[in-house]
Amino acid sequence: MEASQLINFPHNQSAHCESGVAANLLTHKGIDISEAMAFGIGSGLFFGYFPFIRINALPLVTYRAAAGQILKRLGRIPGVTLYQKKFRSKAQAMAELDEALADSIPVGLQTGVFWLPYFPKALRFHFNAHNLVVYGKKGDEYLISDPVFPGPVRCHADDLARARFASGALAPKGKMYYLTQAPENLGLEKLIIDGINSVCKTMIGSPFPLIGIKGIRFMANRLEKWPGRLGKERADLHLGHVVRMQEEIGTGGGGFRFMYSAFLQESGKELGAQTLLDSASELTAAGDCWRQFAVMAARICKDRTREGDSYMAMAEKIRECATLEERVFRGLDQWLKKQ
Amino acid sequence: MEAENDFNEKDIAENITTVSYIANRKGDQELVPGTFWQPVNVVNHQAWQEIEKQIEISKQKIRAGRVSCLHYYMTANQMDPGLLAQYTNQSKWLVRLHLVPFFFKRLQTKALQTYADFFMVSTDDLRQGNLKPPIYNNEEHGSQSVD
Repeated sequence: MEASQLINFPHNQSAHCESGVAANLLTHKGIDISEAMAFGIGSGLFFGYFPFIRINALPLVTYRAAAGQILKRLGRIPGVTLYQKKFRSKAQAMAELDEALADSIPVGLQTGVFWLPYFPKALRFHFNAHNLVVYGKKGDEYLISDPVFPGPVRCHADDLARARFASGALAPKGKMYYLTQAPENLGLEKLIIDGINSVCKTMIGSPFPLIGIKGIRFMANRLEKWPGRLGKERADLHLGHVVRMQEEIGTGGGGFRFMYSAFLQESGKELGAQTLLDSASELTAAGDCWRQFAVMAARICKDRTREGDSYMAMAEKIRECATLEERVFRGLDQWLKKQ
Repeated sequence: MEAENDFNEKDIAENITTVSYIANRKGDQELVPGTFWQPVNVVNHQAWQEIEKQIEISKQKIRAGRVSCLHYYMTANQMDPGLLAQYTNQSKWLVRLHLVPFFFKRLQTKALQTYADFFMVSTDDLRQGNLKPPIYNNEEHGSQSVD
């Protein structure tokens, strides 16, 4: 086995793993792109409340698109070729990773967080859709650019193999991917418009009541009834879970709303569109509103309620977020029609 | 944001600096390193308290002889019988059976070895019912170097 393989890989720390990996891989190919831009053109923003899917016996709440969506959309950009592969056998998966590294290709991997020893203990939950880039190998250790960490990290081959074959929901099955081809110019304008279009469709255009703005309102209605239906203790756990999905490391804060706002700002400047800049500040306001909800929720979870803190008040706050977001996406929808 | 000093929970990301988006004075979103927003730590601690509570309940059940020590290892590693079954390539019902002390005591070494390898403990630990810390808390294991 090679003693050392090293690729000059740009490690830019980012808030969200998937868009961070996408941006870093493109940057390595010579296309300078920010994390927020990758998030936006991959239409990463979403809202979904799925009480029939349970995570640790708590309902699934998600503020972003399904794991893998950003990379999938990235692979569809004309001129970009994304090689992707899943495996059955651990040995084969690791061998192919080594081969790609020997060819000086930085490789993106989907892994389970629970098995990565370099993660802080408290963050090692069974979450299987974490993305990272392996850019080298020294002895038995892989050199990893994990976008949520400030610098490159190392991980033993055995641990990485376990992480690549984590079981459970969203099992990665050793998924690896890398860019084989990238155009000189992405043609951002079309990508931005397509990306916004797709997010508008899911946020305001879906007839399904559990996703988008309707989903936010649906969750508000449910949340109001939690104390009565579940009792105080279970209700607090449900509430804590919602806030965790919204603010956990990897979201950039405010349930990805701030990250999307950064994307709208960047696109507004790129295309010279004032509407996008205005929408960005409105979306920041929506993100702040989500955070006001989270602060109140945290007080309730800690039994430090102030006057006016209640599940009713929180539901009202969430409805306010829904109204703010609806205005943003209606505005963007109007803008799209003029394009 | 208001009311941030209400929460003095320790940051669960330990000493790793993460980045998040924060609007500057002009309202432009910027990626800023550091933790500025504590309420998330409150809910993270809440989640861990719940896990610790489950572990405590599991230990009590083992002491009362109602479940085997496999139940502790499963709970401490935040798993349920379904997930453990997937990891060890067995049926969920077999795992459920092994959670019962009567069946667990009669397990062959080969079956015990599967669990021992998976939880990174020895078969003797499992036989004697030693409760070792969960995988993510095992300091000696793995490389932890951060460049």
